[in-house]
Amino acid sequence: MLGFIVRRLIAMVLTIWAVSFVSFAIIQLPPGDYLTSYMADLSAAGDRVDPATIEAMRKQYSLDDPFIIQYFKWIGGVLHGDFGNSFEWSAPVTDLIWGRLGNSVLVEGLAVLVMWLVALPIGIYAAVRKYSLGDYLATIGGFVGLAIPNFLFALVLMYLWYIYFGETLGGLYSPDLQGTPWDLERILDFLAHAWAPVLVLSTAGTAQLIRVMRANLLDELTKPYVTTARSKGLPEWRAILKYPVRVALNPLVSTIGWLLPTLVSSSVVVSVVMNLPTAGPLLLRSLTTQDMYLAGAIIMLLGVLTVIGTLISDLILAWIDPRIRYGGR
Amino acid sequence: MAYAIRVRRSVRHSVLATSAVMMLSGAALAAQQAPMLDPLVEDGTLPPVDERLPDNPLVVEPVDSIGKYGGTWRSGLRGRGDNAWISRTLNYDGLVRYNREWDEIIPNLAESWEVSEDARQYTFHLREGLKWSDGTPFTSADIAFASELIQDPNYPVGGLFLTDPGNPVTIEVVDDTTFTYIFEEPNGLLLDELAGVNGISLVSLQKAYCGQFSPAVNENAEQLAKDEGYESWAFMMEDKCAWGQETQRWSNPDLPFMNAWVIEEPWTGNASRVVLERNPYYWKVDPDGNQLPYIDRLEMRVSESAEELTLMALNGEMDFTDRHITTVANRPLFYDGQKEGDYRLGANVPSQSSTLVLQLNLNHADPVKAELYNSKDFRIGLSEAINRQEIIDAVFTGQGEPYQVAPRPESQFYDEEMAKQYTDYDPESAIAHLESAGLTETNGQGIRLMRDGRPATINVDVISAFRPEWIDMLELMSLQLREVGIDLEINNIDRTLFYDKRPGGDFDAQVWQGDGGLDVIQEPRYYFPSSDESAWAFQWQAWFNGTDPEIASEPADWAKEQMALYDRLGASSDPEEQEDLMRQILAIAKENFPVIGVSLAPDGYYIAKNNLRNVYEPMKHAWLFPTPAPYDPQQWYFD
Repeated sequence: MLGFIVRRLIAMVLTIWAVSFVSFAIIQLPPGDYLTSYMADLSAAGDRVDPATIEAMRKQYSLDDPFIIQYFKWIGGVLHGDFGNSFEWSAPVTDLIWGRLGNSVLVEGLAVLVMWLVALPIGIYAAVRKYSLGDYLATIGGFVGLAIPNFLFALVLMYLWYIYFGETLGGLYSPDLQGTPWDLERILDFLAHAWAPVLVLSTAGTAQLIRVMRANLLDELTKPYVTTARSKGLPEWRAILKYPVRVALNPLVSTIGWLLPTLVSSSVVVSVVMNLPTAGPLLLRSLTTQDMYLAGAIIMLLGVLTVIGTLISDLILAWIDPRIRYGGR
Repeated sequence: MAYAIRVRRSVRHSVLATSAVMMLSGAALAAQQAPMLDPLVEDGTLPPVDERLPDNPLVVEPVDSIGKYGGTWRSGLRGRGDNAWISRTLNYDGLVRYNREWDEIIPNLAESWEVSEDARQYTFHLREGLKWSDGTPFTSADIAFASELIQDPNYPVGGLFLTDPGNPVTIEVVDDTTFTYIFEEPNGLLLDELAGVNGISLVSLQKAYCGQFSPAVNENAEQLAKDEGYESWAFMMEDKCAWGQETQRWSNPDLPFMNAWVIEEPWTGNASRVVLERNPYYWKVDPDGNQLPYIDRLEMRVSESAEELTLMALNGEMDFTDRHITTVANRPLFYDGQKEGDYRLGANVPSQSSTLVLQLNLNHADPVKAELYNSKDFRIGLSEAINRQEIIDAVFTGQGEPYQVAPRPESQFYDEEMAKQYTDYDPESAIAHLESAGLTETNGQGIRLMRDGRPATINVDVISAFRPEWIDMLELMSLQLREVGIDLEINNIDRTLFYDKRPGGDFDAQVWQGDGGLDVIQEPRYYFPSSDESAWAFQWQAWFNGTDPEIASEPADWAKEQMALYDRLGASSDPEEQEDLMRQILAIAKENFPVIGVSLAPDGYYIAKNNLRNVYEPMKHAWLFPTPAPYDPQQWYFD
């Protein structure tokens, strides 16, 4: 087990390094750089910029260096915990992203939790009561959730809330409470805001989870060990939960690692629509303005999250499924 | 010359307006202040209001009535690029300013000035006793510091008018309130530059505060920057005092200002709102001697979401805004929501002339295309093949009229013939013009063939993210041009690529909005190749501006003539003569018809709460005239 983890960790470091290189290269792919986009922004507003100013700024920001040199300057800083400066915000990238990544993990973590809490019981129920009315209802409900694009659901929710309650949904907390400690007032305020994005984000994944759970469980339910468990007189719910459900969870658990990046990327549009202070809008904006150190840092951290998520799912898998634990021997 | 020079840039012949009379009060009136400042004066935190105001405060004539103190003005900001909205709400307090009709330059921080006959020397007199928001005196030394910083080659900031390599300028400080700009060559447009939004950079850098980051003032500045972790002093200066009029300015609450409101909650990367509070040292009063502003606080919601801002406005949570959400598409929505949201819509007259400018690349790298696009017959043919009324009806719900790229009807440069030439939909005449441009043969698909046998396909670059309606317009134009045998392909691209393509000359055409409909002299980019925004003749403007010698090419004779006229305009200090020269430039533009317009940009609108008073209507809207600031939001109040 220990060797397994060590091998994993070494691979992780190499993967993360490769991710950093690729993410930086991707940002450099489109023509132009931050200053061209900055200039375009000003022109759109009707402003004029002196090309000589831009040229001087380009020199000052070292944007005229070759890609490889820019990359090594950046990655050299990253090794010391310095992710460089965001051009647009003229602030260290690290100051900008931690709070937002925290919000991302919070909101999206809650969404995953809700998704699982809702989908797994429904999936189990749908498998056990195959082709019953409840199965059909759950399936239809899940598919409606899957079919409605997240951003549209968010828009409709905001609109309905405005029409019926006269309030504007948006953000994750009231501006007055920004930066205050997490006391009861702030937690309640957070929950009063966060339910909407959590609802929107969790509906989409629920259908998929229900179907995967239902299909896996259906495969297992007919297997002899279930019949054995039943015939030994175990109560029905125990016979199902203790053995086949555990096995059916296997494919779900092994994809936990993908959940984090999928959630972040799928939540970008929702976050923009609902004005959530998560990493998504920051990433989107930094990509459009070619704010390369900021975008590079976010993409790289997403890569790190994926790698960590994969490690976690491997460990959980090993824990719930003895076949994997002993398979290495 | 007297302090109030009539520039008559863009006279709106309007009878609507209560004229904004800016008087110079002789004897100081007994000044009153906002109630929120009373306790601060009582406990000694602030000096009494009379000591905070200059000897001769600027008296702002209210639009309708004397106001009352208090309240919070709520509005919204989007991503980082939105500093323009903060600038437009409050940062229009330069040395001089335009009046509300935008036809005259009037005193502001400078109470008077003299210009030499040859337009080379400008002497300004500041008001006596002006103070920064931290209570320290605002003097000529601050202006000199800012001017010299702008000219420092190691600190590339805005302020084009002080860094023109062809016309160096020195500043001479006479005393605390008097200073002189001395140019090597005549500079007839200096007052316009100072009254426009770019002039703000001169009055935004306090020597005492920002000077500590500059080696010119503090010899340890470089060391200070290194100690604080900056690569050089310029980076620290940028972070603390901002490039010119740009972004960082609203992130640093320590930075002193001359505006009506100053930063309370700064605009950082994680802020969900920006809050500004009244500047207790603001130097303007109403005719009764009440210190302005009337409104205590500004609160701007920072939101990535246009939808959220739209709902907030519908819900009556925006006291005034005309940004992001006041689109053509949202107009019916906001119109219907007025009663429910307790707000009203007011008119914004845009400075744009045409809704879309089709700029064929006259400097095309492909010689066959360059020759074709330089043919006036070809451009006339395209223009007459466009059914403008159809576009207006389909895209703009009938608002607007067929219009070329020409001064708007509200401008004193308005010329009906120029605005209307070749706008009649006439396919037959269009075909005749195309044929005389040499496009006589067609291929199997009915597309006309160029001289070398290739089909006449025009790839139009457009940034739909900026104006979604452009795609709709181009789709219609593409169908219409197809009828006369021209193939118009729409190439929807990103902004950076759009700008990157210009110097190479390897594009057929680009689309933008018709800037310069009201600010004709200040923004002549479509009348002659004046700036790098003149995408239609990028190499000619490079020749004119001397910016990219490696791509510059000699302009056609008519364009050279315009450039010579504009040089004369810039050297003149006489508004009448400037106007006359501009008319000659426009006449040449009319004759040569370089770019194609579609329809007159319809009026925009703003959203104002019903209890917000003293809001001017209609407002003119331009970048250089940063609406609503020239309409004095300091005298707005809540009833």
